[in-house]
Amino acid sequence: MTDLTFLALATVTVASSILALEARDLVYGAAALGIAFLGMAGLFFLLDASYVAAFQIAVYIGAVVVLILFTVMLVGPQLGEPPLELKRLSLLAAILLSLLLGTAGAVSSASAFPGPDNCGSGCDLVGLSNALINQYGVQLEFLSLVLAAAVIGALTLAKTETKAE
Amino acid sequence: MEPLTSFFAVSVILLGIGIYGLTTKRNAIRILFSVELIYNAANLNIIAFARLRNPPIVTGQVLVLFTIALAAMEASVGLAIIMLVSRLNVDIDLRKLTRLRG
Repeated sequence: MTDLTFLALATVTVASSILALEARDLVYGAAALGIAFLGMAGLFFLLDASYVAAFQIAVYIGAVVVLILFTVMLVGPQLGEPPLELKRLSLLAAILLSLLLGTAGAVSSASAFPGPDNCGSGCDLVGLSNALINQYGVQLEFLSLVLAAAVIGALTLAKTETKAE
Repeated sequence: MEPLTSFFAVSVILLGIGIYGLTTKRNAIRILFSVELIYNAANLNIIAFARLRNPPIVTGQVLVLFTIALAAMEASVGLAIIMLVSRLNVDIDLRKLTRLRG
């Protein structure tokens, strides 16, 4: 059962990451990238890292893919790339989505495969949050500082441009 | 459970796809896609190796959380640069882009 789940997730991830690079239209490429990130979150889930999987979905699909879509919309017309034929692409998207949804169903019925080795105390959320706060608290603070600096830098970059216009 | 080597195989395949895109694509947004794919391959590798220990350790997951946050920062700054370049009426073909001098 897990083998099938893993195979489906791996196929979805690899195929949609190839599609993300090869689709003619960048919007479809961004959507395929989002599907690849979803498959990657499923792989994290299989590795008993459920919090990381949730974080991956929230950050990558919630923030990065949306940001890429906005940029493509704003930059788009200059790219001059003709859109991919819709028929072939929608077929591919249908196959990918059905694979992904079937995998999600298989994963959510967790009693179907208890798995031979239980992860135990190494993978529970309490241990992770304890390590994150107690052991890596300083690094977390530095990370938030870097995040603030990056956001301010991105804002500055986007603002100087309007002045130059 | 699936043997961990298959996770490493997926990671290597994703790294290969990312390097392929990084070397052959010319559009800046595509190159950003490739960088994100490489980040994901590295994350999968870290998580799988952290799972390899018996008992598994949480340090790998903490590391991957930091990496995901750093990748999001990198994407935001990179997309800001792409928007800036495209507003200056320059092609975002990175092979031709030589105009970012002050």
